[in-house]
Amino acid sequence: MNASANFLPDEDLAYTVLSDLKRVTREYATAATESNCPSIRQHFTQLLNTSLAMQGELYTAMSQQKMYNTASPALRQEIDKQMKEYQNTQQKTNQFVQQRKTMAQGQQAQYANWNNQQQWQQPQWQQQQPQWQQQQQQQQWQQPTHFAQHQQDPRHQQPGHFM
Amino acid sequence: MNLLPLTAKELEYIADSMSNEDLMIKQCTAGAAICTNPQIQQVLNHQAQVHTQHYQSLLQCLQMHQSLAPTQPQS
Repeated sequence: MNASANFLPDEDLAYTVLSDLKRVTREYATAATESNCPSIRQHFTQLLNTSLAMQGELYTAMSQQKMYNTASPALRQEIDKQMKEYQNTQQKTNQFVQQRKTMAQGQQAQYANWNNQQQWQQPQWQQQQPQWQQQQQQQQWQQPTHFAQHQQDPRHQQPGHFM
Repeated sequence: MNLLPLTAKELEYIADSMSNEDLMIKQCTAGAAICTNPQIQQVLNHQAQVHTQHYQSLLQCLQMHQSLAPTQPQS
């Protein structure tokens, strides 16, 4: 026991394993995002989840044994500063999104109008364009709900949804 | 589940992952043997087992894709 204490202190030993677990977790995430075969992707995702859990388990044990210095808490005014800044950013981005949406709608209306006027000289495939644009508009309008559903989906490791 | 032939990249990731898991098995086992703190020791012993399972599952994954792999380079 005494010889082992000389070899490597407990906390250094645990820290070495912990940092390797962090690295392994990152590598599984990269592997999952770059997989082509759905079953491989699912496999890497499972390994990622387990490794993440193991890293958490070791960290908790280390912090309970006072082997890990937790960083000092952030000051209230620092939080306030970041919150203000990012509420501002959020507002600007919302404006940007709204602008682009109304712009796109305006353009679609314009094209539809233009197509109607020119219909007499349009070949048949172009006459169908307004219909296609209507579809696109519907799709665009459905997109936010779709995205929200995807985010709430607990099975985010479902394979092949990107295929 | 539908299996696709492994890409060269996937094969590299699987091989790298197996060498990672192998290192973790050794690290956890050796660590648990010299560790004096019982809680850390318990965690390391348990995790050595999980890493062994990971290694085995990656090996099985390779096995499953063995028959799908072409023997000639594809253009």
